Amino acid sequence: MFDFDPGDELSLLVETVRGFAAEALAPRLREHEAARDVSQAAREAARQIGLAGLELPEKRGGAGQGALARALVNEELAAADPGAALALDPLGPALYALAECGGDDALRELALPLLAQPGARAVLFCAGDAALRFGGERVSGRAPWVPADRADLVVVLDAAGACAIREGIALAPLRGAGLRAAGASELVLEGAPVAARWSDAAAAARALARARLYVAALLVGTLRNAAEFSRRYALERVAFGRPIAHHQALAFLIVDMHMAVDAARLLLHEAAWRADQGMPFEGEAAAAFADAVEASRLVGPAAVQILGGHGFMQDYPMEKSMREARALGLLCGGLDRARDDAASRLAGPVALSAGEHG
Amino acid sequence: MDFAIDAELRARLEEAREWGAREVRPAGLESDRMGKPLPPEHPYFARALAHGEGRTRWPGAGVAPRRPPQGAVVASLLIAEELAYWDRGICIANPGPGLPEGAVLAQGTDAQKERFLGPFLAPDKPRWACFAMTEPGAGSDAAAIRTTARKDGGHYVLDGAKCFIGNASRADWILVQAVVDGGKGRDAQRAFFVEHGTPGLGGWKIEKKMGLKAYESTSFTLERCRVPAENLLGGEARKSGAGFGTAMRTFNAGRPIIAANAVGIGRAALDEALAFARERDLLRDARVRDRLELSARKLRAARLLCLRAGWLADHARPNIVEASQCKAVAAQVAQEVTALGMEMLGAVGGRGDHLIEKLYRDAKAMDIVEGTGQIQRVIIARQLVNLPRDAGAA
Repeated sequence: MFDFDPGDELSLLVETVRGFAAEALAPRLREHEAARDVSQAAREAARQIGLAGLELPEKRGGAGQGALARALVNEELAAADPGAALALDPLGPALYALAECGGDDALRELALPLLAQPGARAVLFCAGDAALRFGGERVSGRAPWVPADRADLVVVLDAAGACAIREGIALAPLRGAGLRAAGASELVLEGAPVAARWSDAAAAARALARARLYVAALLVGTLRNAAEFSRRYALERVAFGRPIAHHQALAFLIVDMHMAVDAARLLLHEAAWRADQGMPFEGEAAAAFADAVEASRLVGPAAVQILGGHGFMQDYPMEKSMREARALGLLCGGLDRARDDAASRLAGPVALSAGEHG
Repeated sequence: MDFAIDAELRARLEEAREWGAREVRPAGLESDRMGKPLPPEHPYFARALAHGEGRTRWPGAGVAPRRPPQGAVVASLLIAEELAYWDRGICIANPGPGLPEGAVLAQGTDAQKERFLGPFLAPDKPRWACFAMTEPGAGSDAAAIRTTARKDGGHYVLDGAKCFIGNASRADWILVQAVVDGGKGRDAQRAFFVEHGTPGLGGWKIEKKMGLKAYESTSFTLERCRVPAENLLGGEARKSGAGFGTAMRTFNAGRPIIAANAVGIGRAALDEALAFARERDLLRDARVRDRLELSARKLRAARLLCLRAGWLADHARPNIVEASQCKAVAAQVAQEVTALGMEMLGAVGGRGDHLIEKLYRDAKAMDIVEGTGQIQRVIIARQLVNLPRDAGAA
């Protein structure tokens, strides 16, 4: 039966992560951005609350949580700093390609070693973002941008499956459009040996869907913060004798921003819930990602707009939200591919029948 | 969190779907073709009565009201969505105590429940009741109504004009919102039962509408219309001011229902558009796929917003923001989806005989009734940024 309450266990998790993010991430977001990494203290605090192993199975030392928990956690982290959220997660969305395509062996051999090295990062990229050439058991090619300055493991995901690369990885630092706290580099593979390769189209589709949920949650958090920060600002800033929030043009904009964030969040939660229930969720995840990206095109710039000239300056974090939301939407193959994937699910006999849930 | 629908509700939805396809859709199309509401004696209404429509929720005198089952509001929203999928106009045209029932249950005296809801316990024929708030000069701004009620001995004398009132000319009684004894503002408003045939109640004009032709939206006048003091909702002992509360409570409960209706209309348009695209092999076109994808996604989001508002109501938690959000979003989505459907039809849509064309006309009303999309934003802004009442339209 319908229940929008995350329940005690997940609520406690959200509280914990929110506290951590408010203390360790939000006050230092410019510092982390400039350093292109999170502080040692932040990394240690994140390790202590067990963020890295959130979705790993318990028998592998993880918390055994699912997509919904990840969605809630990522929203909280990104509400403080989406770049830091990526920097803090050694596996990031690469985990899904390993788990769905490679299974437990891949987790044991490729994922767990990263957790033992502080600061290690796995990088996922979706083929199509990069032109790769396979020759024998080696791969060459470039990805124009990955949000990382370090890559201990590269996982390439395409429609047919995934492959993992541990050696022969070169990163050339970039300024980056956003998410700089996680780093920003061009990824170059030149005859890099393929450590493992899996062919399973269904698993690859699930992995991509989970990665989209991961990024959609970061978007929802980023946008929530932008909508909230600009709302509070609009209540303090006075123009023409009243708080600017009381000019109806801005009041309605603020309302529309909050509605867009809420809608994107609900789509995300439903899709994540479906994933956790073992139901088909690939189309729903693609739609949730697409909606979050489209919401970002409203909310990101509107938050800057509400702050006016201050919004454009780096003394306030809204310019950062706008850039980072835009950058997040470029991950996982971007909006158009998500919309295509969501649309391809409409080819079935029934669209959106009221009884389809559960 | 849980997004599942249990087996019992799924069975109810299946039943609504079967009824909708067999009776509701054909009745709605017939009315649209005629360009006017089905007359009260149309056999559809007798069949609706036999099907179980048209009854009151009031359990009868001396019977303790059953506690609504868990999740009753969410369930009612999904049913409202499903029936609107088949024809939203017919949903409103259905017999029964309708919109004022909630107010009568919440505030009516025992005698009033017996007298006005009693006939709906086991109705001998299709019967209607209706609620009359809107006036030519007072739509979403319910505080601006000008119909007056003047105390005169054991009676009240009502004068004024109401408009766009659903099912009014066929209603056994109308719950009329009026300002009592020259008072001002919301606190002075009360609601009165005015029975059909009361002298002074007349001037019926069944409006011609762009869409939703299946139910009558009727204007009427009250001219020195005398009703006994017992017809004052809640009785004279209730302190004044309760009247406006009555109205706003009715509105509040209504918003998610309208949102659910809008989702149903949009879903119908999406299904038709998909069928059209498949028949003509249009799905290879990326622009066509984009429109369908956007429609499906926005409808899904609107439904979730709607169910969240209902879920909060089920748990007796405040839902002012959520109720207005789902109403604002769903109405807009329904318009967008039906408009995109028309675009997909191309010149076929211009013929005026395709279901999507009807849905395009029907959907517009969802952004107007129960508070326009703009009013919903004002309501939300009051909560989010304390928008003062003197700011703009507030």
